[in-house]
Amino acid sequence: MKAALLAGWLIGGVIAPAAAAYEEPMLPLWNPQEREELESEGWVAGRLLLTDEPVPLEEPLKIEVSSVEEVVVEEAPSLEIPEKFLPTYFAERPTSFLIDPQGLLSEKDHKDRLSFLNYHAKDSSIDLYVYVIGGDQEIPGSVREEEVIERFFSEGRPAAVVFYYLGVPQSSTFYLSPSITDAISAAEQQRALASSVVLAFEKLDPAEQIESFLVQMSIRIYWMDRMLDGAPPSTDELPMVVKRVEIRQGSELSKNPNVQSLQVMAMKYAYPAGIALAALILIVCINHWLRRRIVYRFPEFEVEPRLGGAHAAGVGAVISFASATVPPASQRDQVPDYLRRA
Amino acid sequence: MKCPRCVQRIHRAAASCPHCGFTLADADLRFGAEEVRIGRLTDGAGILRRGEREQVAAALDRVTQRFPQVFVAIYTGALGEVSNIRQFGFWLLNRSAFEDVPVNLPNEAGILITIDPESKAAGMVFGYLLDPFLEEADTFACLSRAHAYWLEGHYADGIVRLLGHLESVLLKRSQQAKKDPEYFERKVVPPPRLGEMVRRIREGHRPNAEIGQEPDKAVTK
Repeated sequence: MKAALLAGWLIGGVIAPAAAAYEEPMLPLWNPQEREELESEGWVAGRLLLTDEPVPLEEPLKIEVSSVEEVVVEEAPSLEIPEKFLPTYFAERPTSFLIDPQGLLSEKDHKDRLSFLNYHAKDSSIDLYVYVIGGDQEIPGSVREEEVIERFFSEGRPAAVVFYYLGVPQSSTFYLSPSITDAISAAEQQRALASSVVLAFEKLDPAEQIESFLVQMSIRIYWMDRMLDGAPPSTDELPMVVKRVEIRQGSELSKNPNVQSLQVMAMKYAYPAGIALAALILIVCINHWLRRRIVYRFPEFEVEPRLGGAHAAGVGAVISFASATVPPASQRDQVPDYLRRA
Repeated sequence: MKCPRCVQRIHRAAASCPHCGFTLADADLRFGAEEVRIGRLTDGAGILRRGEREQVAAALDRVTQRFPQVFVAIYTGALGEVSNIRQFGFWLLNRSAFEDVPVNLPNEAGILITIDPESKAAGMVFGYLLDPFLEEADTFACLSRAHAYWLEGHYADGIVRLLGHLESVLLKRSQQAKKDPEYFERKVVPPPRLGEMVRRIREGHRPNAEIGQEPDKAVTK
C-alpha cells in the first residue's frame, strides 16, 4: 500500500511537471547579412540542411522493364578454339602426350603433367594423350573427335585420348585407339571417365583438377592394360585407391625438380645397381663357400718322443666347470698338483 | 711342454719328467698297459642326448675336412676323484686305437678332449704332429669357450663351440706355418749336444780358406 502511494506521488508530483517544463531549443537562424556574404563566395556549408525552402522531390528513375524474352538468361555463347591453334591440335598425330598449344596450363603445371604422362607411357603399354581445351571453348564443328582418333591413333602404340576441358572436367571425352576398342568395353571406358571426373571434382583449382583426373585415368588405363594382357578386370575400389596413393606420392615428388632428376637417375641405375649388388653377394657367398672348402695343411717335423709316449705328449690345459664362481680366467695358471694339494 | 703329473715344464726330448720322474709307464700302472679300442666320439658318461651326438660328430668331421692331417676325438667318462685328467688324457691318446679314424691318421695327428662330468673337469692333449703348433694357452682358450655351456650342462653345445674355436686356432697356425715354417721347426728340434756345440764353435774359428772342407781334413792339417 505504501509502495503504491509512493509511486503515485512520484508520477504526479515530480515527473509530470518536469516533462511539461522541457522545451526544444530553437534552431539556428540565418543572419541575412552573413548569408549574403557567404553566398557571394559561392558555397555555403550545410546549405541543403539549413534551408528554409522545401526539399524538392526527386523524380523516380525511369527503368525500362525487360520483356519476358529478355528476362530469360541466355547461356554465354561458347567460343570455338581459335583457328590458329587448330592445326596444332588436329593436323597431325601429336608428338607430345600433352597437347596445349593455347598455353592454358601454366608452365610449371604443363611440365608436371607432361612428366607424369611420360612416366605413365613408360609404365603402361597404353599411352595417354590429353588435349587441353578451355572450359568455355568447344571444338569446331568441322573437327570430329572420332575422326581424329581414327586418323592419328590407328597405328603405333595403343593410345587413350582425352579431350579435357580445363575447369569443366565433366565435359571431357575419352577415346581409345581402334586397335584396343574391341578389347575394352564401352562401359569400362565410361567408368574410367566417370571415376576420373569424380576425382577431379574433389579439387577446386583447375590445375589440381586435371592432375587428379590424369592420375585416376592412368590407374584405370593400368587396369585396361591388365585386361589386354588377359588378366581379370579389377573389381574397382581397393586397387584403385592403392594405386592412386602411389601415384600421388610420385606426382608430389615430381614437383621438385631435384627429386625428379633423382627419380630419373634411380630408374636409370636401379637395374645395374641391383645386378652389381646381387653379383657382390654371390661373390661373397662363393668366397665363403670356397674358404670353407679350402684344406689347410701343417708341415710335418720330426719330434722326439718324450715321457715314453709313442704318439703324444702334448699336454694341454685342464679346466674345471664345477662352479660358476670359478671363471676360466682364474684357472689360467695351471698349478702343479702337489702345489694344489698343499 | 709340461709334465702331465707335476705340470712343470720339461724339455723337448725328456725321457722322463726331470721334476717328478713321470713316464707313460707310470700312467700304465694306473690305467693299464694294454691297447684300448674306442671310437672317435666315446660318450662313456652318457652326457650327450640323442641328436647331439650327430651334431658333435658333424663338428668333428668338419675339423678333419679342413685339416686333413688332423682328427679330434672326444672321450667322456667318470674318472673318479683319484684320477688325474691330464695323466688320463696323455695315457689314452698313447694307448687307444680309434676304430673309426682312417688308418692314414695316426694318433700323432690326434687331439683328444676328455670330459669328466663327475668331477666337472675337462682337458685337452694332442699328438706330436701338432706339438710345434699348439700351445697350452691355445687349448685353454678352446676349453674356455665351452666353460659357460658346460656349467649349464649343455655339453654338446660346449663341444661345438670348443671345436669352432679350435678350427680358428688351427687355421691361424697353419697360415703362420706356411709363411714361416722354420719358426715352428725350431720349436721341436732336439737340443744340440755339448760335443756338437763345441765342434760348431771351433768351426766358426777356422780360417776362411778352410771353410767348406771336411772337418776331418781340417783337423789332420
